[in-house]
Amino acid sequence: MKTRNVDALVVGGGSAGLAAALRLREGGASVAIMEREPYLGGILLQCIHTGFGLHEFGEDLTGPEYARRFVAPVQEAGIPAYLDATVTEIGREPHDGRGTHSVTALSTTQGVVRFSTRAVILAMGCRERNRGNVAIAGTRPAGVFTAGLAQRLVNVEGCVPGRSVVIIGSGDIGLIMARRLTLVGCRVLAVVEIQAYPSGNARNIAQCLNDFSIPLYLGHVVTRIEGRDRVEAVRVAPRDGTGIAADKEFRIPCDTVLLSVGLIPENELSRAAGVSLNEGTGGPWVDADYMTGVPGIFACGNVLHVHDLVDFVTEEARQCAAQAARYLAGEPREEMLPVSAGANVRSIVPNACAPGRRTVFMLRSLVVKNDARLIVSVGGQEVRTKRLPHVQPSEMIRAPLEPGEIPAAPARGGREAPPTVEVSIR
Amino acid sequence: MTAETGSPRPGAAMERELVCIACPLGCRMTVSSRIRDGGVEVTVSGNRCARGEAYGKEEMLAPRRILTAVVPTDSALFPCAPVRTDRPIRRELLGELASELYRRRVSLPVEEGQVFMEDYDGARVVFTRTLPPDEIPAVGEAGAEPEG
Repeated sequence: MKTRNVDALVVGGGSAGLAAALRLREGGASVAIMEREPYLGGILLQCIHTGFGLHEFGEDLTGPEYARRFVAPVQEAGIPAYLDATVTEIGREPHDGRGTHSVTALSTTQGVVRFSTRAVILAMGCRERNRGNVAIAGTRPAGVFTAGLAQRLVNVEGCVPGRSVVIIGSGDIGLIMARRLTLVGCRVLAVVEIQAYPSGNARNIAQCLNDFSIPLYLGHVVTRIEGRDRVEAVRVAPRDGTGIAADKEFRIPCDTVLLSVGLIPENELSRAAGVSLNEGTGGPWVDADYMTGVPGIFACGNVLHVHDLVDFVTEEARQCAAQAARYLAGEPREEMLPVSAGANVRSIVPNACAPGRRTVFMLRSLVVKNDARLIVSVGGQEVRTKRLPHVQPSEMIRAPLEPGEIPAAPARGGREAPPTVEVSIR
Repeated sequence: MTAETGSPRPGAAMERELVCIACPLGCRMTVSSRIRDGGVEVTVSGNRCARGEAYGKEEMLAPRRILTAVVPTDSALFPCAPVRTDRPIRRELLGELASELYRRRVSLPVEEGQVFMEDYDGARVVFTRTLPPDEIPAVGEAGAEPEG
């Protein structure tokens, strides 16, 4: 088997992988993209709705249009993209290649393909939580789909999954699909959300549910899915404290259930490569260079943490690739301070920062709050506060800190640990 | 598909809480309208940009939306060609245009930006993805083999 040598190998040809590959190539590195689908673009291609590109291009683009703006330059730059090629293993380079890491992939046309590379960019994206992740009682009939699968069926494969639909969870993909299914002739009977607030963004509640008079049941639980061969109904009850108000349960006859109950970064490959994960995000722990705990392995996009906006995936992928390029050039690494999620913060990326450099923190709140403040403290001392007009768990907070906003760590003895940067919301 | 309000009565001020859909920031806005000098005066607050104000006014008077959909193709590999209106159309026409598009069929190839329907409520329906005609796709077609 032939081993191919590259400076950097990008795993995944979606929004993160494309932007990272382009940035690496601009810096002069030899780079290749591995993509398991037969085309580049990733999940953007099934997102035919608009709302992409407002930050990046100042335009309101559809998913395919946004993807094309990266796929075309990748092709023009002659960056090799292996399509229909699934990466099965990332490991240490044994001996026969020029790199430090070896990546093995299965290609439908070329069989087993092996790379020797000095840097790996993890850009595999995320996958949907499914029925097994949320424990819904009842039978196991046909007609239960994740929202993203339904999106693929309707927008790419050209099939409609059912006629009358109940959507469990109010994530953005579920809301987008409520509108989409209505427009292809389904009746969307309800969106049922366990929390007291929607988990998708407010704009999607307005234009996907309210426009079509689709009821949103907040603080409600689907207690049971009924049906022998095919879904026949769901039972829904309001929450009552920590339990449910069983006496107020009602039944909605339907033939299809969509689940829009969150996304999980897809990290089986990372884990097998020895990359340690961050509990808050489900993605790899990364430092200020977006480098994981394994030197030379970087991560960006939804495999690192689930984003709301593709524009920020692009931004993050570029930053990640710029740091990977510096790593490849052998530039010295700055001293970094560990970053931790403080009060009211569910998760934060990156998990270390370099005080002398601009850092874009991306975090999620645990609380819903107006006029909140973001507080950055170093070693227990508050160093910065920023006003946040409105925070809620479903909306990612992006907080850029300019060079010098975090003071450099004081000189200390050799064995003394650097102070922790803690980011919290009040 | 119904708008949640009727037209404002003469002299009466009408106020609505809206979430701006001009971009994913989703500003929470208050839009109020009153009849004045024979016309309707609409004021918007809570918006963070000019697009928000324009959206608030339009939403109060005659809501419009971009429609995105797919058109069935003659291809086995790419059975759906995604399309959009190049500008917003009246909201009450979304369903009608969606079913009209679903009844049609297109032969591949199509190019992003290619016009599929010339004038629907003042908007053009254009393809949003370039799709090739059916053939077995060549692996690695996006680029050349890397050097060994």
